[in-house]
Formats: sequence, C-alpha cells, structure tokens
Amino acid sequence: MIKEDSQEANHVELGKFYFLNNKFDEAIAEFKKALAVNASNAEAYYNIGLIKEVSNLHNEAKDMYSKALAISPDYKIARDRLNKLIGVQN
Amino acid sequence: MKKKQYAVIGLGTFGYNVAVELEKKGMQVLAIDNDAEIVNRISAFVTQSLIADATDEKAMEDAGIADCDSVIVSIGESIDTSILSTLIVKELGVKNIIVKAASSWHSKVAAKIGADTIVYPELEMAKKLVDGIISPNILEQIELSKEYNLIEIVAPKEIWGKTIKSSGFRNSYGVNIIAIRKQILFINDDGQSDMKEEINMVPGPDDEISQNDILVVVGSKEYLAKLKEEK
Repeated sequence: MIKEDSQEANHVELGKFYFLNNKFDEAIAEFKKALAVNASNAEAYYNIGLIKEVSNLHNEAKDMYSKALAISPDYKIARDRLNKLIGVQN
Repeated sequence: MKKKQYAVIGLGTFGYNVAVELEKKGMQVLAIDNDAEIVNRISAFVTQSLIADATDEKAMEDAGIADCDSVIVSIGESIDTSILSTLIVKELGVKNIIVKAASSWHSKVAAKIGADTIVYPELEMAKKLVDGIISPNILEQIELSKEYNLIEIVAPKEIWGKTIKSSGFRNSYGVNIIAIRKQILFINDDGQSDMKEEINMVPGPDDEISQNDILVVVGSKEYLAKLKEEK
C-alpha cells in the first residue's frame, strides 16, 4: 500500500516537472499513470485539466476539472478554473 | 473634476447591470424604474434610485434628467414606452442618449427622434455566441468598422515555432498580429499547479509564436475569414 501511495505521488510530481517544462504529452502520461494506481486522484485530473486548458482545449479541460471535483468537491482551485471556463460569475 | 452624471431608465437585467457598473467606475448614477422592488434592490449600489413612470414628462424633469451628461434608455418589454421615454429625454435637452433597441423598427424610430447611440445587446451576444460555436478557435471578436475586425485566435499549427516575420502571417493572411497572449503553467505559493497569462503587447518581427499561443489579430473581415478556417 505504501509502495502504491509513493508511486502515485511520484507520477504526479514527475507530471508536474514535465508540464513546467512544456512537455505536455509526457506530463499527461505521468498523470494517467497516477490515475492507473489510484483512479480517485483528483490532483491528477486537475493537472490534466490545466494542460488541456493551456492547450485551448476547453471542453476537455472542463471534463477533467469536473472529474477532479466529483472526487473532491472542495477542490477550490479546480472549482475556480471550471467556473471561469463555463463563465460563472463570482 | 465634477463626476459625470448618468441616468439609467428601465432596470431590467441589462439596465440594472449598466447602472451598477457605471457606479463601480466612479460615476454618479440615477437609476429609474416603475417597479418598486427593483428600485429598492438597486438603491444600495447607485447614487440615487427612483420609482417613476418614464413616460411622465414632469416626473422625469423633477428627477433631474436634464442635468445628466448621458441617459441610457433600457426599457425592453415595451417599445412604445421606450420611444416615448426617449422623446421626453430628448426634449429635456440631454446631450447623449443611448437606447437599447429590441428590434430594427425600434432602432429606426429611436434614431429619428434623436437617440445618439443604439445598442442591441441580445443581437450582439447572439452573434458572438454563434461565432464561438462555429469557430471554436476564435476566442474573441470585436468589430472595429464595417470592414475590419479584431479577433483573438489560437495560433494556427503551421506557424508554431516560427517568428512573426518568418511565419509570413501578414503576407499569407493579410492581417497584423498586434499582441500575443501566452498561457503559462506554474506552481503557486500554495504549492498547487496553476496557470497565468503573459501578454506581449508590442510583438516584434523576431518574436516567436509558440504552440498554444493566442494571437490578437487585426485585419479585414475577408482575410480574417480565411484565418478562421485554419485549425
């Protein structure tokens, strides 16, 4: 279990490393690996959402943010980004 | 300097928001409607609010409409009331009258009786929505004149990694890039992934266009139409 937890976290961290270096395909692959270990990793969905948004794929980004929020309804930054994309006024 | 005074007559969704936004910009706003509930609701957000009949010339005069720099007539549900109200505002000598029109006939009559500007928020929003649905790579579109538009567009794939000069953008499409928006991923102070935007407002010929950049482009509608078809 501990091993799986650490694997999941490593994939998320590696994914972030890739996306900070604009290697979006590699980053998404890592976030998907984290999701393969734990399908309820809201952070992985959120990060894929960010990459989709920055790639101007807004529908896919909304889908990813929604999945993150379905797992973690209090995920504020994901909620803010989804609201912005949909056009919800604060 | 004396604050500019505005009156908004008709506090439906459009008028209500125009009044509140004007006040937020530091203007003096007189908000008028014949519905007491709406007037009561807006009272905390504008300089002065008043329950009055916009077709009552005396009531409009007493309200101080003549002292306003601009009046926005945003009566949506009744064209007759909008026209009569516009006429009264004109007769009171207001220099700048803006009318929200509900139809082309409404706009023609409003123009004849002296409206200075006519707006069609629903029509404009409808056009924008349709453009957004049909051309999802167009993020924003502003009409500069009958022939020229300003649009925000996702950089076409064929010019990724090229400089503005080497992209031949101006020659290929006959349009000018006036700004480049870059969306950048970063880790914020809370350690969470986030994104921010950087805008290059004076792009030079040697500035590079990257994947996912958003270009702010000015050009003729004819040439921009070609660009819209790009993926």
